[in-house]
Amino acid sequence: MYRHARGLRARLFFSILYAMTEKNQTPRFRSGPSLIRFFLRGSLHDFLFSILFASLVSLLDMLNPRIISFAVDSVIGNLKPVLPAPLMDALNGIGGISYLKSRFYLIGLLVAGVALLAAVCRYLFHALNARGAEKLVKRMRDTLYAHLQKLPQSWYGENSTGDIIQRCTSDVDLIKTFLSERLTELIRMIVLIVMAVSFMASISPRMTFFSSLFIPVVVLFGLIFHVKISGAFMKVDVEEGKLSAIVQENLTGVRVVRAFGREQFERTRFEDHNTLYTNHWVRLINILSVYWSIGDLLTGLQLLLVTVLGAVFCVRGRITAGEYIAFVSYNAMLTWPVRAMGRTISDMSKAGISVGRLLYIMNASPEEEPVDALTPPLDRTITFSHVSFRYPGSAGEAEALHDVSFEIPAGTTLGIIGSTGSGKTTVARLLEKLWPLEPGCGSITIGENDIRDISTSYLRQGIGLVMQEPYLFSRTLSENIRVSSPSSTDRDLRRAVRIASLEETIDHFPQGYDTFVGERGVTLSGGQKQRAAIAQMLIRKTPVMIFDDSLSAVDAGTDARIREALKTETAGATVILIAHRISTVMDADQIIVLDGGRIAERGTHASLVAEGGIYAKTWRLQTAAPASGEGKGGIA
Amino acid sequence: MNGQKKSTSLPFFGIPKLFPCLRPYRGTIIFMITLGFLSSLIDAIYPLFNRYALDHFVKEKTLLGLPAFIGLFLTILVFQVLINYRSAYDCGRIEMMTDRDLRNAAFRHLQTLSFSYYNQNSVGYIHARVISDTGKIGEAVSWRMMDSVWNGAYIVSAVLVMLTLNIRLAAAVLLLLAAATVLILLFQRKLIALNRRIREQNSVITGGFNEGITGSATIRILAAEKLMQQDFEAETEKMRRISVRTVRFSALLASIVTLMSALMLAVVLAQGGRLTESRIIEIGTLSVFMSYALGMIEPLQNVIADISALIAIQANIERLTRLLAEQSDVSDSPEVIERYGDTFHPKRENWEPLQGDIEFRDVTFRYPDGEENIMEHFDLKVPYGTNVAIVGETGAGKSTLVNLVCRFYEPTEGQLLIDGRDARERSQLWLHSSLGYVLQSPHLFSGSVRDNLRYGKPDATDDEIWDALRLVAADGIVRAMEGGLDSEVGEGGSMLSVGEKQLLSFARALLADPKLLILDEATASIDTLTEKAIQNAISVVTKGRTSFIIAHRLSTITGADIILVVADGRIIERGTHEELLHRGTVYYNMYMTQLSGNA
Repeated sequence: MYRHARGLRARLFFSILYAMTEKNQTPRFRSGPSLIRFFLRGSLHDFLFSILFASLVSLLDMLNPRIISFAVDSVIGNLKPVLPAPLMDALNGIGGISYLKSRFYLIGLLVAGVALLAAVCRYLFHALNARGAEKLVKRMRDTLYAHLQKLPQSWYGENSTGDIIQRCTSDVDLIKTFLSERLTELIRMIVLIVMAVSFMASISPRMTFFSSLFIPVVVLFGLIFHVKISGAFMKVDVEEGKLSAIVQENLTGVRVVRAFGREQFERTRFEDHNTLYTNHWVRLINILSVYWSIGDLLTGLQLLLVTVLGAVFCVRGRITAGEYIAFVSYNAMLTWPVRAMGRTISDMSKAGISVGRLLYIMNASPEEEPVDALTPPLDRTITFSHVSFRYPGSAGEAEALHDVSFEIPAGTTLGIIGSTGSGKTTVARLLEKLWPLEPGCGSITIGENDIRDISTSYLRQGIGLVMQEPYLFSRTLSENIRVSSPSSTDRDLRRAVRIASLEETIDHFPQGYDTFVGERGVTLSGGQKQRAAIAQMLIRKTPVMIFDDSLSAVDAGTDARIREALKTETAGATVILIAHRISTVMDADQIIVLDGGRIAERGTHASLVAEGGIYAKTWRLQTAAPASGEGKGGIA
Repeated sequence: MNGQKKSTSLPFFGIPKLFPCLRPYRGTIIFMITLGFLSSLIDAIYPLFNRYALDHFVKEKTLLGLPAFIGLFLTILVFQVLINYRSAYDCGRIEMMTDRDLRNAAFRHLQTLSFSYYNQNSVGYIHARVISDTGKIGEAVSWRMMDSVWNGAYIVSAVLVMLTLNIRLAAAVLLLLAAATVLILLFQRKLIALNRRIREQNSVITGGFNEGITGSATIRILAAEKLMQQDFEAETEKMRRISVRTVRFSALLASIVTLMSALMLAVVLAQGGRLTESRIIEIGTLSVFMSYALGMIEPLQNVIADISALIAIQANIERLTRLLAEQSDVSDSPEVIERYGDTFHPKRENWEPLQGDIEFRDVTFRYPDGEENIMEHFDLKVPYGTNVAIVGETGAGKSTLVNLVCRFYEPTEGQLLIDGRDARERSQLWLHSSLGYVLQSPHLFSGSVRDNLRYGKPDATDDEIWDALRLVAADGIVRAMEGGLDSEVGEGGSMLSVGEKQLLSFARALLADPKLLILDEATASIDTLTEKAIQNAISVVTKGRTSFIIAHRLSTITGADIILVVADGRIIERGTHEELLHRGTVYYNMYMTQLSGNA
């Protein structure tokens, strides 16, 4: 029954998800609470049980003052014991109060027994809470990560990495703390206050009335203060971020700072900001100190009131000495929850902000997978037909591609040449569906099929791309190369490495294939990274391969060696070579020259050189013979 | 317990090492500690009011002396509130001031350290020293110190009060207190180790997010989403396990500790009850004992936590003091500083104008962290106005020569002469102020285009800026930006493409109108036609300047006055383009390879 219900729920969830992907604009989560409910799945019962045990702890804590007052009044003193009927019966059963008078240790045992029970409950409360909290935070992290993997590149373009990471780490932690600590704490506080007040009321309603008058005053005071001060805290955070950024930039740009001799400027900039930040804090500390002191004063006054009232009531015979002690203990239990409550409530608004920040990520529309996605063979002719493309947010600027048409027959090589910003990389991105081609802006087909109808993941599995700025993961070299096909054999690995001309380099590393490449591959040189990225693609043996300026950091000799190996080892694959260096593309079956998003020239190396256009000019520049005089102009 | 190296057991937690930084606040610190001590003394006194109320008013059924009682209570309360305000404020101030001073000192020192330090330590590592170590130290010398004084004083005064009231009862409580101390200490060690693992795992998870976000395009292209998700979930699962374990452990501690305090109460009730019944002590005294039994555990826990925090802080203090003690490999002699000023107080009036004659005389060089000599007995004369080109494969060591010319490193043996005098005879800043530098990976600072371009010449006018931009054909880029010169370039110039960044950093170098120009593989990611435009600019700009150019493409440097060919860190050939071609060896082969595009 339960399983069935769960299945239904899962199906419902996926059908909603599916509906979302179809209609881009519909948000996945209507509001913060619905997102929280989603995250709380699987951990809610842990939290509920932990609150239950927390309440039990509070209840048990209430017993001690009662035991003490009983002991003081009736066991030590000589007042007639006042107890609930069942307890009275039990007391009479063991021989009345005189039995206890000769055995004081029994009172001690009673206190210890209650304490032991409380300790067990306390442990269960914390342990269950942690279980729920960690399940919750894992679910949040995993869900966010999975969702981020589905978001389109345009989304990444609009949002800064630092900001997204901040949301996935700090905001996640904040929400976790809020749900597992703040919220349970608040419930605990309320339970504790209610219990303590009612126990106090059972001793003396009038004293309780006067001493509880402080509760709303202190809570409100704390709440108002924290709401007002939160702006100042945020400001300090911002200032700290700026200070940290100054250090970061100074360190990463150390060569520039030194080469321009700007140390003094940097120092002044840093110290000015440092002073500003420090002064902000000192001012804030002053306000906080005043707040704490007023809190101390209010608490002290309340203690005085309770002490004096208690004494007066005792003297007038309204309460006993034991009750007086119990009352003071209950009152002491109230002090901290009441003082902390204002802050806890004000922290809730912070959690609200964090939930909103996660909602922003979770409600971003994922990449579209076409309905009834096709999975046709990809070793077919690739056709760009009247393709125009403009990056979102670049309105007013020129199109990245304008009316571009070309055809790459299966198994042939296309070379693309063009200056920075001419649209070369856009061709690769569109073919990979990293950026979607809008309807009415031409079409890209493979064989008979428009790529808009082809399954995106299938397409990407079949079209290998080596990017301009390769990205390696902080793993070992072999794990990096195998990242897209973990099951590939060692032979495949070595073949890919050999074609990418990386063999010698790896032999030079003491750890060989197990060399750890560091975050983003920092331990490798630019050329080594490019070659590793090439191997990463080659191991997949895709029918289509795109090299986006991916040989720029290797020297010309290696460049040639790699292309030679590619030609013999991957015969039959469709290849797109994007480059600045003409020698890279000169052997291609056809070459197009992009200029400002348009195809300016097309043909083979020979025909283009003969044509005498941009291509020919570039070719002459790059191969300028010493005698030609053209190269001389380069450097005087 | 790994990593808990005992090398960090310094006397007084290493805090004496900070005395120079704390000196200005000596008076405040002593004052603050005194106040904290007084405040906790008062806190320990409060239960005595209760005692008086019980033993006097309640027992004798009289309200005589109540006004005096209230008056005394109020006086002490107000006094304590004032003390608390002052000590909290002082505490916060000392924290922030110490932070500020340490950060300033660290930042300032970093500006003078040589590049070998930056090569050996990652930016993240250094950043953590400047920002987080200082913060932790500031917190330790203020709040932690204050807190341990407060809690320690509370325990001591409570114990003293108990001892004066009744020794036997006090002894029983103290015994349990000692047991609790041992328990907390045992748990604490384990908890510190567990918490360290949580922190480590936390940075693994942040790294995972970072990779998933910055590498998202690559993951898509490689269709590696599943693998990445699996690996990420394995890490979050690991985190979950460690965290749950840690919380369970600390929950156990919390439960046991509160149980201990209840046990103390039980002992007080059982023992004290008997004593009270036999009129050896009064009820008021019993209530004082009960208050302490319940109130002493928390300060005890706090003191222990403070001490572990102070132990942990030693590592931070050590790392920071090590940074501050770091010696620069390249430093100006006292005589040079006397005459030319140091990094922060240049005496520009004494600076001779730099001509631009560079000479390597019998230079032998080895990187400070390297094992073999990269240059041996190297001689090279670069008269004013000469263009020197350095070519060679990636990683062959082309930057070494430039690092020496810029005095980013000092020759191990031999001399670098600038205008005929040893470079060490003049200050580094003197040289750097006449240097133009364009980097392999261009670095821009966050701020506007104008701020960035003016970096080397703060008083440059807009006209001068536009002139420089035109020279490197970058005026179009800036004009296309919505805000023109006021456009923000983003952190590290993230709003611009690599090519655009290079062009701008070029303009920045030109604007400084340097006598010495250094171009470090500056043309690697600019397309051929733009590069051509830059080359034309270079030909204009290098006139009247000494320049060093490191380039990939041989076609860009065929016109250089001297070409140096570098392999495995050594200069293996030198000459003009024609001479080297004539020789028909290494350079010839490289050139032919590039020309034909075939191996």
